[in-house]
Formats: sequence, structure tokens, C-alpha cells
Amino acid sequence: CLIHFYKRKMRVLALLFLAPLFLGACLAQKKVLVLLENVAVKETHSLYFSMLQRNGFTLTYKVADDPSITLKKYGEHIYDNIIVFAPTVEEFGGSLSAEAMMDFVDNGGNLLVTAGSVTGDVLREIASESGFEVDEDGTYVIDHHNFDTKDGGYHTRVISDAQNMVKSDLIVGTGKLPLLYEGTGLLTDPSNPLVMDILTGSSTAYTHNPSLPIKEYPHTVGKATVMIAGLQARNNARIVFSGSLEFFSDEFFQAEVDTGNGKLVPSGNFELAEALSLWCFKERGVLRVDGIQHSRVGEGSAPEFYTIREMVQFYIDVKEKVNGEWVPFKPTDMQLEFVRIDPFVRSTMHVAKSELIGTTFKIPDVYGVYQFKVNYQRLGLTRISTSTQVSVRPLRHNQYERFIVSAYPYYASAFSMMFGVFVFAFVFLYHSDETKKKTE
Amino acid sequence: HSVGAGLCAAGMIAIVPGYISRSVAGSYDNEGIAIFCMLFTYYLWIKSVKTGNIYWSALCAVAYFYMVSSWGGYVFLINMIPLHVLVLMICGRFSHRVYVAYCTVYTLGTLLSMQISFVGFQPVQTSEHMLALGVFGLCQIYAFVEYLRANMTPEYFNILFKSLVIIISSIIAVGLGVLTLSGKVAPWTGRFYSLLDPSYAKNNIPIIASVSEHQPTSWSSFYFDLQILTFLFPAGLYYCFSKLTDHNIFIILYGVFAVYFAGVMVRLMLVLAPVMCILSGIAVSSSLSTYMKYLDGSGSQTKAASKQGKGRQDTNSTQQREGTAYLFVVLMTFFLVTYTTHCIWVTSEAYSSPSIVLSARSHDGGRIIFDDFREAYWWLRENTPEDAKVMSWWDYGYQITAMANRTVIVDNNTWNNTHISRVGQAMASTEDKAYEIMRELDVDYVLVIFGGLTGYSSDDINKFLWMVRIGGSTPEGEHIKEKDYYTPSGEFRVDGEGSSTLLNCLMYKMCYYRFGQVYTETGKPPGYDRVRNVVIGNKDFELDVLEEAYTSEHWIVRIYKVKDLPNRGTR
Repeated sequence: CLIHFYKRKMRVLALLFLAPLFLGACLAQKKVLVLLENVAVKETHSLYFSMLQRNGFTLTYKVADDPSITLKKYGEHIYDNIIVFAPTVEEFGGSLSAEAMMDFVDNGGNLLVTAGSVTGDVLREIASESGFEVDEDGTYVIDHHNFDTKDGGYHTRVISDAQNMVKSDLIVGTGKLPLLYEGTGLLTDPSNPLVMDILTGSSTAYTHNPSLPIKEYPHTVGKATVMIAGLQARNNARIVFSGSLEFFSDEFFQAEVDTGNGKLVPSGNFELAEALSLWCFKERGVLRVDGIQHSRVGEGSAPEFYTIREMVQFYIDVKEKVNGEWVPFKPTDMQLEFVRIDPFVRSTMHVAKSELIGTTFKIPDVYGVYQFKVNYQRLGLTRISTSTQVSVRPLRHNQYERFIVSAYPYYASAFSMMFGVFVFAFVFLYHSDETKKKTE
Repeated sequence: HSVGAGLCAAGMIAIVPGYISRSVAGSYDNEGIAIFCMLFTYYLWIKSVKTGNIYWSALCAVAYFYMVSSWGGYVFLINMIPLHVLVLMICGRFSHRVYVAYCTVYTLGTLLSMQISFVGFQPVQTSEHMLALGVFGLCQIYAFVEYLRANMTPEYFNILFKSLVIIISSIIAVGLGVLTLSGKVAPWTGRFYSLLDPSYAKNNIPIIASVSEHQPTSWSSFYFDLQILTFLFPAGLYYCFSKLTDHNIFIILYGVFAVYFAGVMVRLMLVLAPVMCILSGIAVSSSLSTYMKYLDGSGSQTKAASKQGKGRQDTNSTQQREGTAYLFVVLMTFFLVTYTTHCIWVTSEAYSSPSIVLSARSHDGGRIIFDDFREAYWWLRENTPEDAKVMSWWDYGYQITAMANRTVIVDNNTWNNTHISRVGQAMASTEDKAYEIMRELDVDYVLVIFGGLTGYSSDDINKFLWMVRIGGSTPEGEHIKEKDYYTPSGEFRVDGEGSSTLLNCLMYKMCYYRFGQVYTETGKPPGYDRVRNVVIGNKDFELDVLEEAYTSEHWIVRIYKVKDLPNRGTR
């Protein structure tokens, strides 16, 4: 009885000790700081926040200019993701600033920011550091052909078709419903290769202040009117910038959209918001490299060096995060480059039986120091960039063919010459002239 | 010639600066061994010509193999020996000894030299070796002709001889022409072609022209390296001519050709030095022995004269001869002593001072030591990752590899011209273009030498025009044109008048970063370059793609780190 009692106590104690570890592991990557414009936003966007909590995120709510906000404790970032639902805030509270935000991103944190028709300076700064520009204060995205009739007559509550989303299921999900939007437009920097337009307006959209007459060309017109923009940084941190806070509100999630032919269709905002948030906070479209193996064909481990013209096999273990679990990734277009300043071999890898991705090829006839490079960048996925350096040596003196076929005549002539000289030596030494005998 | 001459020559060769420049510790290159091998090969050649023994010829071939394995200058040897044979043939001194010697040396020597992988099949493919092959063929023909001449009647012989000569020479000429035109026999490579046509390298191959040792020699360098040998050389030649033998002809040929080549390229002064010593040794020994006779014999002669009772005239003339002999011997001793002191002085001043630690005298006479090179290399060694790659100009490659223990992109063994040209393009381009090249070459750190603060004049800005020339000499660097880096009036200036291409290129920015705020000399504005003696033109600029990693104490060595691409987009 006592033993049972103690055993149970031990089990409980063990659970108590190990539980935090489990919890910690599960909650890794899932701590979100939510900065709100005011406390009311928490209620008006309740569906969005409950969706996040359903997906396993722990949310910490703070008003944007709360002086007690800190991102770092003892030099480490406390949160993994930040949501900013405070378009008009001029300055963040506490130790937060645009610089601190960008430092957070540069250290791997993800950001989801909403602006509005009136946007504070600090958000404009964050946008410009991320490769976008927010249009002037007072501007709205206006579309006189695709608007929701429930707006104030200014045609600022626009409908954007599912076709205007970026072509990547990982980022925007598979929804086909139209989207409701009310807010300002963004301009993306065309020379920045890391920026993507996640949701743009239709070809009839433009941005302008609805109460002012139009005197000059609008800043964005048609499909260039970006409503939600995204950036995947080189360290794979993700930023999603939306021009509208209402996009994520309960009202828009539950609204029904009049597509123009009388039918009322529920808006696709909820699906898009969920997909975007999962993508932004690194739950979808995340790859990681678990290991790289390279060796001669038939061998198991990497040799110290390779020799020219050898057959080499290369395997890389890539995992993708699906529903919180890491499963093997099976691409059809991942390439391996064998580079010595310029690539000598470029080979498309295939999925091997052990769920590794790999290929076999022949090392070129040139010796030197090479690198196995895998550079895989696809829209919506994190970047894979690995490089392994190996040396390739020329043939050693005893690795050449021992006898060259085209040299057989020369071998034959050399040996026949040797034999002939040997016989000749006998003949020469032991030959005696006939004439001497005669004279005798 | 004589034992005395040999001893004299040996003494001279031991201290001649021309040879010491390449064999002193710290400035040691292949040539240090190669000259010994060359002289050894020549000695054995002369011995084999004298004796006609296969033994000596075989030894000569082995010594030749040693020479080939040590220096690319063996080409001089493989052309000098056939030339000697040719001259002997022309002089009518061709004999069976020469025939045996040359055939053995050529066949064995060529076979052995082809064992060196760098030489490979060059002896049968390149024009530089064709003379040896041609003379070999000619030897056979000549010997055969002599044999026929000895065994045939004159008329038959003449007919046969003439027809054979015509047929064979035409075949050879056509054959050589076809082979050269079709590319089978390669034309003269750049290094050697520039010896025949000195302007070739300057116009066509900047990297060969840029090496300071490849410039034509000035008169002062001749005297500097050889001193009295330059005067004794013609005297030695005269003595050789007066007693013309096979080996004397060889020495004469060697001497004359060495003088020509030393005049083309400073580096080949090294080849000239030994033969100068030999000929001067001959001159000194011959002249001394001539005059010593008078000193030795004068005692016995006066006795003999007094015995015969010839009279005062003889004693007077012998006394005169004695006097001139004494005078001559004293003069010669004086020359040799000055030669020795000169050699010692030259070696200590010019060829022994370390160039890795510089020193200068300050205005109050005290000595300032500039140890910047070692300081910077040690910083690299201690503060960079082990596999970091450093890009600098090729002059510092070996130093960085040895002292900083890091991989360099190009070093002093300048055999990959395209790669050096790529580095030159990076140095001469703007920051953005240079960044592409640096990423392609996988560069982590860049190192430049800057002398503007201290007045050190062999810095990278002074070498910059060579970088431009070399960078523009390959197809990828065609956009780099030398004239873009000069002012409209054709000057190379780094002040406000300088060309904008120069003022914005990577080398300029790396050398003069933050220099615009430094006061270098009293009474001059900040940013005064003490080597070019101007205030620099582009003062306050920031670097986009590099960040400053280390600058040594006197700003002589400056090291920069290549920045990664920015995290959130383009620059």
C-alpha cells in the first residue's frame, strides 16, 4: 500500500517536472504579442483572436502606447510573433520603436501589421523598412465597379476577387470566395526581390482621398493597388502588412458580399486571415534541412577527398512543417549545383526510397575545390541555401592506365629490339670470318 | 683555362651582388639553385666536348635534368648548347667529340626533361626548343656527309651532296612552316618572345610587363650588380679570342648572349653574373700571370745578365718591367679590394634589408619602426575564421599565406592570369560591380596597402594602374579602360581634378576611407596624401558593401570585411 502510494507520488512528481518541458516544446514559436489601438479592438476582432488561440498561439494583449511593453528580457526576445492592430499610433510605448521592431525581424521574429486610411509615422517607418510604402493619410482604395453596397456611398468598401491573390496555396489557402476590404493602399518596391503582393485590387481599383477632387494621377492604379503585402526576409522572417484593420474584424468575417448579380456570398476574409496568419507565423510553408550526406557511389560515409571522374551521390534530408509536425518534403524541382566559381554540374534531385532527396552524378575532369550547393527558393516556402565544400584531386601517378592500348606497337618494338640486340650480340661475338681460314 | 682563373672566378662569384640578390635568405627564389645547376651543366658540357666521352655527356644530361627541374630558364641552356654546336660547325671545328657529346646530351637530356610534368611535351612542340632539334638533325646530316666524303670519290660526292642539301632543306622548311601555321608547333610563348621583342609584353600582356624585374636594365644596375666585372669582361673576351678553342668559343657565346638578355630584363642580370665572373677571372688571372712572370723571373734574369755582362741597358729594362709589374699587381689588388667592399656594401644595403619591417628617420634623427605588415597579418590570423578568404593584390599573397595563415585569392605564383585579372576588375570597379565579383570569388576580407599617411611609396594606389591594365586585359574586363582613370589631360591624379571613375572605384574608397579627416602634415588640410603630395578629391563617403575591419597603426595595411546581402531587400 505504501509502495503504491509512493509510486503514485513519484509519477505525479515526474509529471510535474516534465510537464513544463512538454509545454515549452509545444509552445515554442507560438508566443504572440498583440498591440491594440484601444481595448475595444479586442472585442471587434474576437473571431480572429479565438482562431489564433484555437491554432495554439498564446496571445498577450497590450495597448500600443502602454509604457510597460518590452520585447527583450536579458537580451533574448520574449515573443516569437507580433501583431499590430493599431493603425493610428504615432509612437509605441515602452522600449518599442520601429528600429526595435526591425531588429526583432532581423532576429527571426514575424510581424503582422495593419495600417488604415490614417496611419501613424511609426507604422510608415516599419513599412518603408520592409519594402512597402503606405499611401498618404486620408486615402482609401476606391473601386467604382466592385464595391459593397453597405458602405457610405464613397465606394471605399471594395470587393476583391479571389483571383487577385498571390498564386500560392501556402500563403493564401485554397479559398475562392471574394474578399471585403476597406482601407488604404500600399505601394511595393519593384526592385526588391523579397517583396510579394499578397492581395491586390481589381483592374478598376485605385487609391485616393474620396472627399477630395482628383487633380493628379493616383499613386496606385488597377492591379498595382496592393491591399495586403508581404515580405520574406533572407533569414526567413515573415512580415505581412495590410492596409485595413477592418479586414480582420468580426463584421467583415461574417459579412455577405453582393457580387453584383444579386446573389449574396459570404466573404472569404476569415479563410484568408487564417491562412495568412498561419503562413506569417511560420506554421505553414516552413522547410528545414535535417542533414546532408555525400559519398562515393556504393560507400556510406563522406571521404576525405574525391578524385576526378568519380561517381558521387548526394542526399539532403528536407522536412516540411505540416500541422505542427515535421514530415518529409517531396519536391520535384530541387536542384543540386556542383560549383567551383561557376557551376560545373547542375542536377535535378529526385526523392530516394529513404525519403531523402538526392542525386548521383560524375565529377568533372577538372580538379579543384568545389562546393555542393542547394539553393531552393519557391514562393511561399522558406529559403534553403546550403553549401558543403569538398576537394577534388587529380589522378595519382598509379591511377593512370598501366598499359595504354595505342602504345602496344611501341611496347612490341621495344621488346623486339631488346631481343634482337641480345641475339645480335651472340652473332657479333662468335662470328668468325671465312677469309681468315682461307689464308691459313 | 687555368686553375688560377678558376680560383679567381670562384672568389668573384661568391660575392657578386647579381647572384646574391637571388640567393640571400629572405629573397630566395628558384634561381638560387638554378644558377648552380646551370653552371654545373655547362662545366660538364665543356668537359664532354673536350673529351668526347659518353660518360661526361651522360652526366651533363643528368645535370641538365636537375636544371630543368629547378627553373624555367633552362630554355636558355637548351638554346645555348645547340648554338655552340652550330657555331663550331660554322667555324669548321666540328669533330666526332662534339658529335658524340651533343647527341648524347640532346637525347638523354630531352627525355629526362620531359619527365617534369610542367615541361611535358614542350620540347617537341614549342618553338623555343626547335633550335635544339634542328641542330640535332643537322649534326646527323653533317656527320653523315663527312662519312660519305671520306668514303666516296669527290665527283659523286658533290652531286649527291648538292641534291641532298636542296631536297632536305626544302623538306625541313616546308615541314616547319606547315607545323607552325597549323599550330602543332606553338609559336614562341609570351615570356620568351618578349626577350626578342621587348615591346611585345608592354603592349600585349600587362601582367608580364608589370613585374618590375621584367623591365629593361639601366646602366646603373649593371654597375651596381657587377662593378669592376663590367670592365674586366671585355678583357676576358680578348683573352678567350686570343686562344681560340672549342670551350673558349662556348664561353664567348655564353657571355655575349647573356649580356644581350640581361639588357632586356633586369631579372636576367642573374644569368649574366656568373659568366661575367668567369671571364673576369680569366682576365685577372691571365694578366696577373703575365706580369708575375716579370716579378719572379726578374731576379734570375738580372743574374744571368750580369753573368753574361750585357750591360746597364738590360738591368734598366728589367727594372722598368719590374716597376710596371709591381704597379700592375698593386692596381689589380686595389681593384679586387674595392670590388669586395662594393659587394659587401651592396649586399648589406640593397639585398639584405628586410622589406617586411620598414624603418625611417624622424626629423630629430630617431628611428621609427613601421611594423604594420606583421601587425595586420597577425590580426588576420587571430580574428578571422579559419576558412576565411582574403582578397588582395598578388604581391602580398605569399606573405598572407605564411603569416596570417589564411586562404588568398591570388598570390605571387602568378600563373593564372584570368584569375588575377578578375581581382583587378574587382579593385577597379565601382562598389556594386565589385560586390558581384567578390561574391563570385567567395571573398570574406579584402586587404589593401596604403602609404598616404606615412609616405610609403610602394602602396596599392601607385600600383593601381597595373591593376587596371591587367583587369582590362581579359574578355570579362573589357569595360575597364585605362584612359577612364586619367584626367582629360592624361594625368593620374587623386585630388579634386582626378577622373570620377578613379575617385569612385573600390580601391580608392578602400584606401582613402576616413582619410579625409586625418591631418598628416603640418600646414596642410586634412586628407593630404604624402605620397602623391595632394589633398584627396573624394573625402567624405561611406562604404556600402564593405565595413572596415582593421587598420594598422600607421594606416599602411587596411582590412575590410565583405558585408552580407541585407536581410530585408536590396541596398
